[in-house]
Amino acid sequence: MIAGETRLPRPIRIAVLAVGAIAMLYVLLAPLTSLDAAQSAGLPLLTDRLWFRIATTVAMFVVTASGWNIIGGLTGYASFGNIAFFGLGAYTVGVLVANQHWPFPLALLGAPVIAAAFGLIVGLALLRLRGHYFAVATLGVGVAVGEVVNNVPSLGASTGLFLPIVRSDLLFFYLMLGAALIAVLTTWVILRTRFGYGLLAIRENEEAAAVIGVNTTFYKVAAFCVAAALTGLAGGIFAQWNSFVNQENVFAVSDNVQIILMAVVGGAGTVLGPVAGAVVLELIIQTLAGGGTSSVYSQVGLGVLLMICVIFIPRGVIDFFGGRSRLSLGYLRQTLRETSA
Amino acid sequence: MSQFTQQVILGLLLGGIYVAVALGFSLVWGVLNIVNLAHGALVIVGSYLTWALFTRFHIDPFLSLPIDAGALFVLGYLLQRGVINHIIRAPLLFTFLLTFGLNLVLVSLLLLIFTADFRSVTPSYSGAGLHLAGVTIPYIRLAGLLVALVMAGILWAILNRTRVGAGILAVGADRDAAQLVGIDLRHLYAITFAVGAAFAGVAGGIISTFQSITPTAGDPYTLQAFAVVILGGLGRVSATVAGGLLFGLIEVLGQSLPGLGSGYANAIAFVVLVLVLVVRPRGLLGRLA
Repeated sequence: MIAGETRLPRPIRIAVLAVGAIAMLYVLLAPLTSLDAAQSAGLPLLTDRLWFRIATTVAMFVVTASGWNIIGGLTGYASFGNIAFFGLGAYTVGVLVANQHWPFPLALLGAPVIAAAFGLIVGLALLRLRGHYFAVATLGVGVAVGEVVNNVPSLGASTGLFLPIVRSDLLFFYLMLGAALIAVLTTWVILRTRFGYGLLAIRENEEAAAVIGVNTTFYKVAAFCVAAALTGLAGGIFAQWNSFVNQENVFAVSDNVQIILMAVVGGAGTVLGPVAGAVVLELIIQTLAGGGTSSVYSQVGLGVLLMICVIFIPRGVIDFFGGRSRLSLGYLRQTLRETSA
Repeated sequence: MSQFTQQVILGLLLGGIYVAVALGFSLVWGVLNIVNLAHGALVIVGSYLTWALFTRFHIDPFLSLPIDAGALFVLGYLLQRGVINHIIRAPLLFTFLLTFGLNLVLVSLLLLIFTADFRSVTPSYSGAGLHLAGVTIPYIRLAGLLVALVMAGILWAILNRTRVGAGILAVGADRDAAQLVGIDLRHLYAITFAVGAAFAGVAGGIISTFQSITPTAGDPYTLQAFAVVILGGLGRVSATVAGGLLFGLIEVLGQSLPGLGSGYANAIAFVVLVLVLVVRPRGLLGRLA
């Protein structure tokens, strides 16, 4: 069961990998044709500015959803406070670049370190809680850290921090893509080590895991730190990319829920599930937001989408498209029967 | 000294609001095992109802409280019956995500209907207060505290003195056994959620009398309701009352500490939350682990 549930069904995996390969080819070629030189030579454009932004955002959510997946999907601890790591990573880069005038690459190295250190402290305190208690305690971490940051003058208080603008869509796109690759590879490697099996054992039955010799505290906190480092890295890149950080854009609890939704809908506990979830959902959200309607409608859309996903496909696309069952009305009825009163 | 007394009184008055907000939240959590992230949104629906009745029909905000309760009861019943009942047996992550989605939809709908403008309910007596030995007690806040205590009494009476209440407690204690003795689970879940929503609506009505409301004003109340329930403990009305009053005191006194201010309300709540969770996970008076 454990080994089986960590992989998406074969057809899905092949589809995701194929789409991924095409997308990678496209993104490697795209900058060539969007360069000024290429444009003046009359080569056809493969992409424009907006698409770079959207693709960078998608990559960012691949990182954060994969990060959440390590603690929420593999270890079974549903963290609602991962956004705190994102925000801390962003503020680390923000403070080092804007206030201390460090070069961005050096400051970026600090982002995952600070986030992981915070993950260590929070993890030691909170990972003894389970279920609702862990979920809301971490939710509280996200809100509280954002609020403290919002009140400290040297962190820009409610105004936020302004970083020198770096105008390069390409740079941030490749940085975020690199981070996404790191995140996916990290998950892949973890699932093939003793550490990964320990995490899955904790998810399935923590007491049993402890009995067979898994140092549960160490494993859980380590998983939390890895998740924190990845999420912090994404936040650090975001800070320089956006060149402005404040509480609202890097500590939004709704972003945290979006991250969870991506991992869960794609298939929590798998390597490629969060990737699929991030790509599909972010494109849907961008479509909802970009259709000329106000963001309120996109919020309603996101809320309804969230509710439909949760009610009808509570086990993610793992179950939905392949594996043991097929997409059919009968399947939907059966999932409903299993979970409803 | 009178400064301190004033702070304590303000803390208790604020605590009354937290009691009102947390009663329904605690009921739904204890019986349905759902941490309802849309609770704050339901509270604000109650606030808008009171505001609309006050501005359109000049109904006194305190007289509109029963109307809030009735309307939110119906809304709550329909939400549980139509939506939440479908995933009541799913893992907690899903009930969490579902209620978060519900919250998003409710808040967005409120934004569409009422816009993001600040709305306030201003009855003629809103500024009046009792002045006693250098201490000021705003009447409207005092009334809020009294309503909250009456609400707690009503909830206790419903749970302990009525047939429906016996059913709710039975379901909370053992779902399968309750079903075996002939309780209609779907209906009773819906009734429980409806009662929780009705209490949220009344809390919202009280809140509108002293605070400007916007569609997003409910979110902090969800987190605070959670903190109150953790602080007091799950499974007893008296625990919620004690937790709410204590939490109000902690917040007001915490903000008056040097270096802190009203901007830290959530951070203080969170620190209290974590301390209680780590030191005494079942709360001060709780029955359930």
